[in-house]
Amino acid sequence: MTAVSDESVVRWQVEQVHALAPTPASLIAAQPVAVPARWSHTGYDERGLWGRCSGGASEPYEVVVDHVGVGFRCSCPSRRHPCKHALALLLLWVRGQVPPGAAGGGAATWLAGRAAAVAAAAAAAAGPAGPAPASAAPSQPAPPSSPGAGSGTAPAEGGPADAPAEAPPAPPPSEPQRPGDDRVARMAAGLAELERWIDDRMRTGLADPALARYATWDQLAARLVDAQAGAMANRVRRLAGQVGSGPQWHEHVLAELGLLHLLAVAGRHLGHLPPGLGDAVAAAVGWQVRQADVLAGVPDTDRWVVLGRSDTREDRIEVRRIWLRGATTGRWAMVLSFAAYQQRLDESFEVGASFEGDVFRYPGASRLRVLVGRRSDTLPFPADVPWAGQPLAAACDEVGAVLAAEPWLDRVPLCAVAQVARAGGRWVLADPTGTLPLVAGPGVGTLLACTAAGPLPVTAEWTPRGLVPLAVQLADRVVDIGPQVDPSFVGAA
Amino acid sequence: MSTAEYWAELVTVALLGTDRREPPAPPPGGFADLAADLQPGATAAGLAQQVAAVAAVRRAAFTPGAPADVLQPPAADVRPVTSPAACAAWQKVVADWPVVEDEWLLAVVRGGWRLSPELVVPLLARHRGDEVRHARVRVAAGPLGEWMVDWSPPLGRTSRKALPPEELAARLAHLPDLPITPDLAPLVERIGPEGAREVAAALAGGLSNGSLTVANRAVLVNLCARLHRSVLRPVAAALLRVDPSRPSIGLALALADLLSLRALLLDQLEPE
Repeated sequence: MTAVSDESVVRWQVEQVHALAPTPASLIAAQPVAVPARWSHTGYDERGLWGRCSGGASEPYEVVVDHVGVGFRCSCPSRRHPCKHALALLLLWVRGQVPPGAAGGGAATWLAGRAAAVAAAAAAAAGPAGPAPASAAPSQPAPPSSPGAGSGTAPAEGGPADAPAEAPPAPPPSEPQRPGDDRVARMAAGLAELERWIDDRMRTGLADPALARYATWDQLAARLVDAQAGAMANRVRRLAGQVGSGPQWHEHVLAELGLLHLLAVAGRHLGHLPPGLGDAVAAAVGWQVRQADVLAGVPDTDRWVVLGRSDTREDRIEVRRIWLRGATTGRWAMVLSFAAYQQRLDESFEVGASFEGDVFRYPGASRLRVLVGRRSDTLPFPADVPWAGQPLAAACDEVGAVLAAEPWLDRVPLCAVAQVARAGGRWVLADPTGTLPLVAGPGVGTLLACTAAGPLPVTAEWTPRGLVPLAVQLADRVVDIGPQVDPSFVGAA
Repeated sequence: MSTAEYWAELVTVALLGTDRREPPAPPPGGFADLAADLQPGATAAGLAQQVAAVAAVRRAAFTPGAPADVLQPPAADVRPVTSPAACAAWQKVVADWPVVEDEWLLAVVRGGWRLSPELVVPLLARHRGDEVRHARVRVAAGPLGEWMVDWSPPLGRTSRKALPPEELAARLAHLPDLPITPDLAPLVERIGPEGAREVAAALAGGLSNGSLTVANRAVLVNLCARLHRSVLRPVAAALLRVDPSRPSIGLALALADLLSLRALLLDQLEPE
């Protein structure tokens, strides 16, 4: 294959690259890779583009993209298709950062094989006296119909008979269906079933005795697990425990059913959601994001203050949330760790301490969850932070903004200067701007003793049932009062 | 109709089910626009959709409730508060060596400290079944302890039997006796460097030559919990020098840890 002039190739638009991303997270992960410094031996011709991307492996990944027939090949181990390296190479190309050239070695062989397969398929479709293969002319791929399709091929709307002359060719018959397609279909079916199940509950009413039987919920949860919507299954199981749990249980269960409905509908229309919201919904229904993809993002650097810790048991897993807040930016971040029986939770964050470092945010709307990258040694609580001393009303505004973006969140952090008081027969956090109810628990008593009816900086988690106190800042230290893990469940630190 | 009223209507309909009752008409605005997009006849789906919308709006519109009257604070307590290090020592006492918890509390009282507020609730709750210890906690906690019991009655004492005031006062000021075998009991009285050498010889020597074994653990723990503070560190050092190949090395290290913890807490709370 010979080098080509730039005019003979119809370069893609960036929107077409975006449309090919199997998930919004893939595109986010591709951005930091799409820099010329990470690439070598790049080039393109009228059929394909290629390059070597240096990544975490000892050897660079060999990436080839067929921009005519729309196909991808990468030596990385990712099961996403196209992977972030292929997307990054396409992004470089559309930005004009890939030079024209001649493919060599494996890239040339692969591209020639694809061209031959497409030509053969077109010839078979046209018959012995048919026209020249459409792939003979450079063409523009149509975006896939949904980001979850993930096949790497772009079917033309209306089918081959209606395709314009420059429509992309049909996918090579040898192209196998990607495993992601099955998963998307299973998840969509599971979410559709959840939606129907909720509709049935609305029809028969929450007073239906069937709701009091755990099996009613567990069967649904099991089907959601089968549909690989594990996060939704967990929510359903948690909801089962709320039935009859208090005088207001109907209200709590109804609100949660409404949010499940919201997620079920949104989860089946991920491709139509804005990227951030789509990522948030994808995570909420059970899509996993690889840590490597998160760590490939742009870090959020600050002095991070460890403001609270919260341990909860979810099914057979102990979950620890560490809430960080940037001393400069005031942005929240959450580090999650998990422990099955006799495993250890992350003990490396001390409430009241701080560190200088980078956090890498998971994709989403509120983007609270992070992975911690580089971090300094432990530093003391910073003396003056701009968000210290905010009243409850300001804290509520912050929480409301997060919940407006992701109303299905179970926990949102807040900190405010407040004291404990009684209102309506329950303990509340109070200041002159108002009150917020506290969830009864051992932390409330300790918070009451620490504040002793005086205002102090308090960190808490908003939950649908009220605030869970996590920490209180005394004059000389921060006291961790968050819910504690059952020590008999986790392994010794 | 306000959002709160609309929500209450939705809850009522959801309780009964749309088979029995029609969902309420949404108030004008966003909820009504949303309902207008729904296919006709999709009553249950429409209710789920409206519930989702109202639930999301209610969460996003998160605002504080009406202000409440503040509580009357407890009376002032001029005693210095126990240090974070002393609080950490208590955590270790409870986790590893509860046999010295009485001594820790007594040292707080004798040292003129008041309990750090974060320890008041766990200590009151922990000892509410023991009159003497509960009373000792209340002395150490001061007015805050009384105030907490007033606001949270479950933190009060659960045992109904009450000791005579004189006996309670006497027991408050002294550590309870622990069972120690007669051959080891005299070691409790040993003080100073000479006494430390004698105790070290008895304990480290016994663990080395096999005359003391893990079968004696309970008694040895009691003994170490009552040794005089002047012998604690030398005896701990002697126990750390026990031959690691001896079968009782684990017990020796454990006893050394107990003695070191006692020395630490006494230094923190009752410095000489």
